[in-house]
Amino acid sequence: MIFIALKNLFQEKTRFFISIGGVAFSVLLIFILQGLYQGWSNRMGEYIRNLPADLWVGQEGSRDMFHSVSILAEKDKEKIEDIDGVAQVASFSGRQMKLHVNGKEAPTFIVGYDPNEGIGGPLRVIEGKSTPSNGEIIIDRVFAENKNIKIGDTLPVATENFKVVGISEGGNLVLYQYSFVTKEDAERLFKLQGVINYFLVKLAGGTNKDRVVADIKSVVSGSEIFTKEEFVENNTEFINETFLPIILVLVLIGLAVGIAVIGLTIFTSTIEKSREYGVLKAIGVKNNQLYLIVFEQALIAGIIGYFIGVILAFTLSVIVGRLVPEFITLFRIIDLVWIFSASILMSVVAAYIPIRRIAKINPAEVFKA
Amino acid sequence: MSVIANNITKIFGSGHTEVKAVENVSLTVQPGEIFLIMGPSGSGKTTLITILGGLLSPTSGSVVINGENITKLKESKLPVFRLNNIGFIFQSFNLLSALTATENVTVPLIAKGIPKKKALGQVKEMLERLGLEQRLNNKPADLSGGEKQRVAIARALITKPGVILADEPTANLDSKNGHEVMLKLCAISCEENKSVIIVSHDSRIKNIAHKVLWVEDGKLIKEEEGSHKKICPHENLV
Repeated sequence: MIFIALKNLFQEKTRFFISIGGVAFSVLLIFILQGLYQGWSNRMGEYIRNLPADLWVGQEGSRDMFHSVSILAEKDKEKIEDIDGVAQVASFSGRQMKLHVNGKEAPTFIVGYDPNEGIGGPLRVIEGKSTPSNGEIIIDRVFAENKNIKIGDTLPVATENFKVVGISEGGNLVLYQYSFVTKEDAERLFKLQGVINYFLVKLAGGTNKDRVVADIKSVVSGSEIFTKEEFVENNTEFINETFLPIILVLVLIGLAVGIAVIGLTIFTSTIEKSREYGVLKAIGVKNNQLYLIVFEQALIAGIIGYFIGVILAFTLSVIVGRLVPEFITLFRIIDLVWIFSASILMSVVAAYIPIRRIAKINPAEVFKA
Repeated sequence: MSVIANNITKIFGSGHTEVKAVENVSLTVQPGEIFLIMGPSGSGKTTLITILGGLLSPTSGSVVINGENITKLKESKLPVFRLNNIGFIFQSFNLLSALTATENVTVPLIAKGIPKKKALGQVKEMLERLGLEQRLNNKPADLSGGEKQRVAIARALITKPGVILADEPTANLDSKNGHEVMLKLCAISCEENKSVIIVSHDSRIKNIAHKVLWVEDGKLIKEEEGSHKKICPHENLV
């Protein structure tokens, strides 16, 4: 009976385009929201995920770099270095600071690290120097593009001026970006003497992570140790907490729009074709076969709408992503799968009311002229 | 395939609003016979044909088609029974507007589970028998009234049902087309030994009927012989 479904669907082209347009819009909305959520979530954790540190040692009670303060004594670094299985320890200090660029506030997360330690600096330097010297700063590409800053420019940070010597990638936190200065400059800027925020610990191959965690806890009192995965999760958690409920609501609205549009278009088509469905009933087509026709119509609209929606979402994300650096999307296979399932669900739900309508059609009515 | 109706009564409503649409109607149509049911508007003709087709349950009485009492068949079994045993022809053709002539005739075969490819061969042959070989891929909107009714007849005949029920089949056709369409139906029915019941106001159809039944106020008031024998032996009608 699929040929009847197809013919019915394509007979009224305007209605057909409205139907698939509704689904496509719905899929586009859901896909972009999901892509943004995944993109931001991924981007928030990208820097931590890609740093060559297996453990992050922070002050007890701290959870992430943005919402809690972690203060540790720098002298504890040697104690950690002495633990069996620890390959390298680097100190890491960072703080969000507001700069003033071209008369406007420009927030950035300034990281102070020791270039000689090799851990804690920019992930990928795409232009200029790969490590800063005192008085120099490496900024993220997105920050540079947004604020129109070039290598050689001077950036005022607190009461000091820093020379931009490099542009890096992988440090975009969506709302602001990482900038990198030397450990010495950071201590002065943050007014931290003899204290740091975190120790980054790299383990030797084959080392038992749990044992090292226990050893660090025993030598650095009041410390809290996170694996890389835990620390990534802690730092991206607020994205989940803040955006997930909003995204969920918008996704539900998207689903409702899709269901409403397919449902209404298929329903009006069913009403218009009530007599034809009555004829089919009269000649002996079973109810299940008629339901299948309606369901197939909804399904075809759902599937075509889905693919158009996905193509639009990809196209939009590429175009808008170029124009708006904060428009960071990440599309995963699993999202394609669940949004496809959602489209099928839309079709199933949308077919329900027209199917109920068909069930009520009295085939004897077709004898009325 | 015979059609036997025993004392069919159909009452709509109850109390003050009660209407007896059909009252104690009995008839027997043998295979190869064409019955014409005539009567004024509102006489109960359409209700009667609807009951004979298993689309409406009588208040009392029974309809037996090919030995099967369809008034006792479960609701869920009736569509399959209709599909296999009864062909319907309607006054306003009732073709599916989105489908071509070929596709319209294919529908009952697809509903029976016959693969579309296999069905198309039978459908083409049937449409050619009805003189529609040039209109196979035309949609109803592109067909004349006579052509539409011939497509509807093809749809009714394609499953080789033993019974054909036609409701005012010539009402929307001019006299020439109406006559041609009825001759085609008559010839195929005779050739394939079908029981045909036609409800109509059109007295010209008497020419193809074996028997003419007159219905008034739901009652069978008169029965007379038709003129079938005068025209049906015409060979090569189809």
